Amino acid sequence: MAGSFFRNLIRNRAMLLMVLPGAVWFLFFSYMPLIGTIAAFKEYRFSRQGFWYSLTHSKNVGWDNFKYLFNTDAAYTITRNTLLYNIAFIFLGLVFSVALAIILSEIVNKRMAKLYQTGMFLPYFLSWVIVGYFAFSFLSMDRGLLNHTLESFGIDSIQWYNEPKYWPFILIFVSLWKSAGYNSVVYLASIMGIDKSLYEAAMIDGANKWQQIRNITLPLLKPIIIIMTLLAVGRIFYADFGLFYNVPRDSGTLYSVTNVIDTYVYRGLKTTGEIGMSTAAGLYQSVVGFVLVLVSNFIVRKIDKDSALF
Amino acid sequence: MFSKTKKKRDFHHLSPGWNFIFHAVALFFAVLCVFPFLFVVIISFTDEKTLATNGYRIFPAKWSLEAYRYVFQTGDMLLKSYGVTILVTVAGTLLSLVMISLYAYAVSRKSFAYRRFFSLFAIFTMLFNGGMIPTYIIVTQVLGLKDSLWALIWPLAMNAFYVMILRTFYMTSVPDAIIESGKIDGAGEFKIFYRLVLPLSLPGLATIGLFSTLGYWNDWFNALLYIDDPDKVPLQSMLMRIESSMAFIQQNLANSSISLEVLQNMPQDTARMAMVVLATVPIIFAYPFFQRYFVQGLTVGSVKE
Amino acid sequence: MGKSKKSFGLLSAALLAFSLVLGGCGGGNGNGNAADSGGGSEKPVELIWYTIGTPQKDVDTVMEKVSEYTKEKINATVKMKMIDWGDYQQKMQVLVASGEPMDIIFTSAGGFDYVQNARKGAFLQIDDLLQKYGKGIIDTIDPAFLSGSKVDGHNYGIPANKELPQQDVWRFNKNLLDKYNLDISNVRSLESLEPLLKTIKEKEPNVTPFGLDKNHVPTVPYDFLITNMPMAVKLDTTDYKVVNILETDEMKKALRTMHKYYKAGYISPEAATVGSTNDLTKSGNWLVDRAQTQPLAENLWAAAYGYPVVSTPASDPIITNASVQGSIMAISANSEHPEKAMEFLNLLNTDPVLRNMVDSGIEGVHYEKIGENRIRNLEAAKNYDMPSYSLGNNMILYLNENDPDDKWEQFKAFNAKGVPSPILGFNFDSTKVATEMAAIQNVKEQYWSSLMTGTVDPDEYLPIAIEKFKAAGLDKVIAEAQAQLDAWVAENKK
Repeated sequence: MAGSFFRNLIRNRAMLLMVLPGAVWFLFFSYMPLIGTIAAFKEYRFSRQGFWYSLTHSKNVGWDNFKYLFNTDAAYTITRNTLLYNIAFIFLGLVFSVALAIILSEIVNKRMAKLYQTGMFLPYFLSWVIVGYFAFSFLSMDRGLLNHTLESFGIDSIQWYNEPKYWPFILIFVSLWKSAGYNSVVYLASIMGIDKSLYEAAMIDGANKWQQIRNITLPLLKPIIIIMTLLAVGRIFYADFGLFYNVPRDSGTLYSVTNVIDTYVYRGLKTTGEIGMSTAAGLYQSVVGFVLVLVSNFIVRKIDKDSALF
Repeated sequence: MFSKTKKKRDFHHLSPGWNFIFHAVALFFAVLCVFPFLFVVIISFTDEKTLATNGYRIFPAKWSLEAYRYVFQTGDMLLKSYGVTILVTVAGTLLSLVMISLYAYAVSRKSFAYRRFFSLFAIFTMLFNGGMIPTYIIVTQVLGLKDSLWALIWPLAMNAFYVMILRTFYMTSVPDAIIESGKIDGAGEFKIFYRLVLPLSLPGLATIGLFSTLGYWNDWFNALLYIDDPDKVPLQSMLMRIESSMAFIQQNLANSSISLEVLQNMPQDTARMAMVVLATVPIIFAYPFFQRYFVQGLTVGSVKE
Repeated sequence: MGKSKKSFGLLSAALLAFSLVLGGCGGGNGNGNAADSGGGSEKPVELIWYTIGTPQKDVDTVMEKVSEYTKEKINATVKMKMIDWGDYQQKMQVLVASGEPMDIIFTSAGGFDYVQNARKGAFLQIDDLLQKYGKGIIDTIDPAFLSGSKVDGHNYGIPANKELPQQDVWRFNKNLLDKYNLDISNVRSLESLEPLLKTIKEKEPNVTPFGLDKNHVPTVPYDFLITNMPMAVKLDTTDYKVVNILETDEMKKALRTMHKYYKAGYISPEAATVGSTNDLTKSGNWLVDRAQTQPLAENLWAAAYGYPVVSTPASDPIITNASVQGSIMAISANSEHPEKAMEFLNLLNTDPVLRNMVDSGIEGVHYEKIGENRIRNLEAAKNYDMPSYSLGNNMILYLNENDPDDKWEQFKAFNAKGVPSPILGFNFDSTKVATEMAAIQNVKEQYWSSLMTGTVDPDEYLPIAIEKFKAAGLDKVIAEAQAQLDAWVAENKK
C-alpha cells in the first residue's frame, strides 16, 4: 500500500513540484493561523507567556461565544439581510458583468471600448469612506443633489438617511457600480480567448450576431460563470463591511435593512472587545459558507463533472 | 478596426444600430463610474473654507492648490512611499504570477492524481481564516518578516480565488490535443507548460496579473500590522492612516485636548482627496497595460480535433 | 477509485503532520524575549515605551538625549515607539496578544481601552510598585487620579496629571453674540437656550443655531456606568441604584426639548448621522454647541478656529471614571523590568527636565527658553510635535509664549472644584453578560442618536427603544451591574 503511494508520488512528481510553492504558502499563511480559531471557544485573556499560552490557558466556555449571534431579535434581521443582499449581488452582479463584457467585446471601435473599460475600473479605487461621502452629497437632506432635483420637479424632499425602504435599492446599485467594471474583466478575458474560427463557422451557417452570442459566447462562458458563482456562494455569509457601514453613514434608523452580520459583530463588540466572540462570528460565517460550497459543488458535479470546483 | 465603407461592413461586426446602443450603454456606465472620481479631483483643487461652507460642489466657489502644497511638503516621505509601493507591486505581481500559474496549471490537469485534493486545499483557505493575531505571529515570529518589505509581498503572493479563475482559463483555452502533441514530441511537463500552455493562456494570465497588481497597489492593512519604519510605508497605508485617525478623533471628541492638537495638524478634506488622486492616477494605467494581452493566444500550428 | 482515495488519505495525513510540526515549532519559539536579566547592575536597562500619536521624525534623536539623562539618574535607557492615532487600538491589540516585548504602554478610555485590557491581563498590577518606587507620583499628582483609576480595587496605570473633572459648557460663536446683542448670563439649562436659538434662526438662515453630532447626549445629572450605554446612577444618589437613563424624568424632559428644537429647525436635519461638527466650526456657521471645558479652553478654541469663542457652564465639574481615564500610562504585564519602568514613570512625573525633554525635544534645536519656565518653539519643532496629554504630568511642563503665568494654578483650582461622582472607581465587569451587551450595543446604535439629537419624537420612540433594550436583555445587565455596585459600595464606602 505504502509502496503504491510512493509510486504515485513519483509518477506525479512534476505536478507536485508545481504545486509545492503554493502549497507551502497556504500552509504558513492560511493553515497554521487556523489554530487561532480555538479562541472561539474560550474566554480569551492575555498572559505573560504569549499567544499560544494564552490560548491554551484561557477559560473554556464551550458555545457561549456564539450565543450573541443567535439569541436575539437582531439575529433574524442580520442573517436575512446578509443572505438576501448577497444573493442579489451574486445574481445581478453576474448578469451585469457578463452583459458588460459582451457589450465591450462587441463594440466596433476597440479603442473606445478600451477607454470605457478603463473608466469603469475607477470605482474600484475609491474607498468606501469616500464613496460614503459621495452618497452623502447626493442624498443629504438640505444640500444633496437628489433632493434639489426632486424639488425642481415639485416633489418633496426625502430624508434619505431616515427612510429604510429605499436603501436596499441604493445599496445594491452602489455595490454593482463599484464592482461591475472589475468583475467584467474576467468575462472579457474569457471572451477574448474564444477561438474566432467558431464564429466564422457560425456565420457561414447563417447565424446572426445574437444567435452567435447565444450559441457560442454564452455556452463557452459557462465554465467561468459557474466557478465565479460557486466561489461567491462560499462567501455568502460575509458582507462587505465598508458598504454597509459607511454608505448609510451608520444611521440607526436604517438598521433594519443595513445591519448585516459583519456590522452587527463590529457594533456589538465595541465596548467589550471579546476576542473569543469575534472569532466565533468568523467561524460561524466560514462554516456556513463551506457547507454551502460543498452542497452546491456536489450538485454541479452531478450535472457536469468538469465544471465543478473540486 | 473601423471599416471605411458602410456597404462592405464586416459581418463580424455588429449592425450599426446595435453598435450605437452598445456604445450608449457603455458610455453611460463609464461616465457614471468616472464622474465621482472627477469630483474627487475637483474637490482636491477646492479651497478648504468654501468646502465647509458650501459642501461639495462641482464648480467650487474658490479654487486652491493648498491641498497639494500640503501633501508635497511632506516631501521625501511621499516619494519614498511611491517607491515602496511600486517596488512591492512589481515584485509581488511577478512572484504571484509564477506561484499561481504553476499551481493552477497543475490542478487543471486531469492526469494529476491529487488534483481534487489540492483544489480543495486552496478553496478551503478562501473560506476559513485564523484571524489577525495568529497570522501576525506567523509572519513576525515564525517567518521573522517584521518591518521588512517582504512582509508586504509574501502575504498577498497566493490567492485561491485567482488560482481557480486561472485554472478555468487553462481548462477552456488549452485543448488537450495540444498537450498530447507536446507529450508525443517527448517534452516534459514543465516544458509543455512553458512552451505550449503559457502562450495560449495569455488572457487568463493578464487577468490575474492585473488583479494582483491592483491588490498589491491598494493594500494598506499589511503595512499597518508589520511596518514601523517610516521609510517603508506604502502609499495607501499613508492614506488609510489619515482616514482612520479622523474617525478616531471624531469618536473621542469629548477629550478636547486631543481634538484640537491633532485637528490643527490634520490634513483636511481637500488634502485627503489630493492623496486619493495621487495614489490612484498612476495605477489607472495598469488596465491598458494588461489589456493588450487580452488576445486570443497564438496557436502553435493548427491542431485538428 | 479506491487507490486514489487511499493516497488521498495518506497525503492529507502527511500534510497535516507536517503543519502540526511547524506549528509546534512556531508556538515554542514564539516569545523570544531577549532576557536582559543576567549580568551586572552596570548594564543599563532598555525600556520600550509604546505611545499614541503620528510618528515624529526626531523621536529617535530626542530619545537618545533622554536616554543619556535617564542613564545617569536611574540606569535605564528609553526607546519610544509611536503608533498613529487611528491605528493604535488595533495595532496595540495585536502587539500585546502576540507577546511583543514592551514595558510602558499608553492607554485610555477609548484608545486601547484601559479597563478592558487591564481585566484581560495586559497590564501589571502596580500597587506595590507604586509604594516602593513611585513615591514621587503619589506625592505629586492629584490623589483623585490614583483612587479613581482603580480597577477592581487595584491600580494598573498612572493617569496623566492634567484637568481632573469633566464639565460641560455651552460654547458660543462670539461674533454672532455681538452682532445680535445676545446675553448669555442667564444660560444654564437646555431650555434656557431657546430665545437665543430663536433669534438666530429668524435672522440668519445660513447658520445652524445648535451644532450637534451623533455622539451628543443631553446634560443630565447622572453618571454612566459605561460611556454611551443606558445604565446610569444619579449623581446625588444615596441608594446607588442603577437605572435605565431612558426611563428617567430628566432625560425624558431633555429629549422632548431636543425634539422641539429639531422641529423648529434649530438642529441640522442630519445631526444623527454626522460624525463631528468640524464643518460648522470651520465655517463659523453656528451659534451654540456644547463641549467639555478645561482652564484656558476659550483661548485654545479661538486659536484653532480663528474667531472668538465664549462659554458658560452647562453642568458642574464632576470627577468621573471617564475623566480620570483620559490618559494613562500602564506597565505591560510581560515587562521584564517593571521596577525600572516604575522608576522611570516616577521620574517622568516629578522631574521637569525629563518631562519637558519628552514633550518638547532638545533645547536649542526644537525650542528655546525665553524665561525661567517659558519656552518658544523653533522651526524644527514640527519634527517633534508630541501630544502632551499622553506623556505624563502636565503640570510640570514649561509654559508656552502666550500662556498666562498662573496657567497651572488655574488647572489646580479647576481640579479642586471637582466633585467626585458616586461611582468613581467602580468599573462594571460585563464578562458574565457579554452576550446581552452585544445585543444592547446594537440596539443602542440603532436608537440612541436619533433620540438624543431630537430627530425623532420621544413620546413615540422612547417606549419603542425601551422595549427593544428590554428584549435585548438590559434588565439582566442592570441586575448584574447592581449586584457588582452593591458589593463595591459595601467594601469601599463604609
